Amino acid sequence: MLPYLARRLLLAVPTLAGVLVVTFLLLFVAPGDPVQEMVGERADAATVARLRRELRLDEPLPTQFAAYAGGVLRGDLGRSFVTNRPVARDVAERFPKTLLLAGTAMAFASAFGIALGVLAARAPGGWADRLALGGAYLGISFPVYWVGLLLILFFAVQLRWLPASGYGQGWRGLRYLVLPALALGTRSVAFLARVTRSAMLEVLGGDFVRTARAKGLAERAVVFRHGLRNALIPVVTVLGLDFGYYLTGSILTETIFSWPGIGRYVVNAISRRDLPAIQGAVLFLSAVFVLVNLLTDVAYAKVDPRVRYE
Amino acid sequence: MTLPAFAARPAAQAAVLALAALAAACGGAGGGGGAGRQSFVDSRDTEDPRSLDPALSTDVPTGRAVSYLFDGLTRFTPDARVVPALAERWEVSPDGRTYTFHLRQGVRFHDGQPLVAAHVVASWQRALDPKSRGGRGWPLEPIDGAAAFQAGRARSLAGARAPDDSTLVVTLAEPLAAFPKLLAMPVASVVPPNAGADFGQKPVGTGPWKFVEWRHDDYLKFARNAAYWGEKPGADTLVARVIPEPSTKVAEFENGTVDVLAVPEGETRNWEQTDERPARLLSAPALRLYYVAINTTRGPLADVRVRQALNHAVDTKTILDRLIAGRGRLAAGTLPALLDSAGAARAPYAYDPAKARQLLAAAGHAADLSLQIWVGQDPTFARVAQSVQGYLQAVGVKATIVQRDAPSVREAARNGQADLFVKDWFADYPDADAFLYPLLHSASRGVGGNLSFYSNKAVDSLVVAARRTADDAERARLSRAADSTAFADAPLIYLFHYNQLYAVQPWIRGFQVPTIFTGQRWQGVTIQRQGAGPAQ
Repeated sequence: MLPYLARRLLLAVPTLAGVLVVTFLLLFVAPGDPVQEMVGERADAATVARLRRELRLDEPLPTQFAAYAGGVLRGDLGRSFVTNRPVARDVAERFPKTLLLAGTAMAFASAFGIALGVLAARAPGGWADRLALGGAYLGISFPVYWVGLLLILFFAVQLRWLPASGYGQGWRGLRYLVLPALALGTRSVAFLARVTRSAMLEVLGGDFVRTARAKGLAERAVVFRHGLRNALIPVVTVLGLDFGYYLTGSILTETIFSWPGIGRYVVNAISRRDLPAIQGAVLFLSAVFVLVNLLTDVAYAKVDPRVRYE
Repeated sequence: MTLPAFAARPAAQAAVLALAALAAACGGAGGGGGAGRQSFVDSRDTEDPRSLDPALSTDVPTGRAVSYLFDGLTRFTPDARVVPALAERWEVSPDGRTYTFHLRQGVRFHDGQPLVAAHVVASWQRALDPKSRGGRGWPLEPIDGAAAFQAGRARSLAGARAPDDSTLVVTLAEPLAAFPKLLAMPVASVVPPNAGADFGQKPVGTGPWKFVEWRHDDYLKFARNAAYWGEKPGADTLVARVIPEPSTKVAEFENGTVDVLAVPEGETRNWEQTDERPARLLSAPALRLYYVAINTTRGPLADVRVRQALNHAVDTKTILDRLIAGRGRLAAGTLPALLDSAGAARAPYAYDPAKARQLLAAAGHAADLSLQIWVGQDPTFARVAQSVQGYLQAVGVKATIVQRDAPSVREAARNGQADLFVKDWFADYPDADAFLYPLLHSASRGVGGNLSFYSNKAVDSLVVAARRTADDAERARLSRAADSTAFADAPLIYLFHYNQLYAVQPWIRGFQVPTIFTGQRWQGVTIQRQGAGPAQ
């Protein structure tokens, strides 16, 4: 296992280097000028030229890239053109909030999604199955901004149980987390329920399940120990993928609920053509994505002893 | 990471859910709002401020926050007058080039340092210094020596001197009657001498509010400055929340968790037509023009008849009524009625498709004209662009829409690549010059704001003459003449001047909708606790 992990981590290095080069080049090919976005609607050519020099954007591309890549190697993601704050600090401030939201959404999604899937698979065609499948269809079909606004209208405006938006500090702040986590997790609940159901159906039809039942095991043990355990591989795949996406910023959810996460940060940076902020954040998020993928693969081995990494 | 293990452990899942339910139950009054609060909560910001440093105030949230924390020599009132602030009074030399400002005595920064005239000079130099990376020095560039200082040819700003602690003498490169108005802009605010690298995060000013806390992308918190030299705020705390989604702002307002709301255009009818809501609505004109910049240098668009035809082809009244809920006034020039009441006599271009066809035919473009309409991603502007496209097609112009994100459109338009660009213009200070110079003067072509690339020597000289004229009536006449001349040349499709519509909670008293975005500093505003709304 350990050599495998080391190899995978080493492989992440060229991946991230590629990300670094590609984002850098893409941003220079893309239309839109960072300096013109900084100066706003009214400026003059001299100011624009001075700022370009001040930000070293007038230097040749290779020089700029070398300076940037050198900084990254030293662990310095540079300073935002727009805010003049260190990008690393901005990312460090926002990522934990995205992690909290994504983690809660995934916890909610795996609890409900897997439970619904198991319930549905136990009696295919029964009322629980139809309910779960119908619910899953709806959950997948509803766009997150619509679900989000409904949740706000119902729980915040009508019932006044929960705040409509914002981020709270400390224990009491957790109530700010509920609605965005529900909105974000809904799609995953639906997806997980469907995946769990089909995996369970396949597993429960297997010979070893019949054997388990024949030797008189309680239904609980059959379903959970023999069934679910074996059905988890596709479920883990879905969990890993969704978690990776959520961690790299659930832009719509963060926008609707004014959640100060990394997704909004990246979108704002793009809309301001804030090159160091975009590059730094994308690089960081790529690293997160690579890491989550790796952890998902490791999880396969935990879930299914037949999976071995040498 | 223990996801699979977690998923397989129902007890852990149950714990998380129970926790969530508990948190929900403890929440009680939700966001905790209403008249029980001792603080003002604003919902207008849609994005995080760039910084709280006046030198970096290029965006609306930054400008607004800077106006709470700092003072300039002058300030804007909510109804867009310019009144003395740190300068108690001033004199102008007969040639209009030298201003002598007399500073208010006994003003202190939030950290206790007394304010002296040298701080003003240092603040302006700091804002102009390329090292500050602000990019918005232009309000201070009229000061003599500003260009040399910015270019590094001079080590200080020659035109600003502080002969003693309470006097400031400013010499301008040429006369500029609107100069005191420029000094009310956030970038001209006065900062203490020890403003360091982290000043934008922990600002210290002389303003009515002191900085408390900034949670990025979430909120800004300010505390009442009890030692303020002017009118003190009517609450202990002011929170400026950052809420990007308009529907969420509306929900927060309905919950009583925010005190003011800029009503989204799409919600206007909804708010005007329900029983209890209209009482909370306040409106005020904005110094904001919706228009379509016509690039007067591109092919057939160089022909004035074609540009007039475009103006006659578009039914601006229907666009205003249907897309902006009637919140505006048709434009017959760049100047809003507030800055040019006499100009209102001029009639807007009439909606007359037949005349548009005639003009196009006369220009030799009866059927072959093909134009690109550029627009950003804001849904309102996109809808306006679609309407304009429809109207142009109705008179035989082949119009296609090019929709890109704002920086791409802006860059293309500034480089002269866009035939038509659907956009708006906010005046930064309440003066005709804030429309005429950027939109119509040839020196502003491109990055200066003149995206029509309009160039007319007569208009240029009228605009410059107006700038230099001290007499208000004469300036108004010159400005109106410039606007009229350009109007006949039709470098824009003139749409309308925008009206702001705010909703204000019943327990908030004394709030006036600011015409200039920095004009409302919450000083004369109070919270009346007997009002409606849930108590916490």
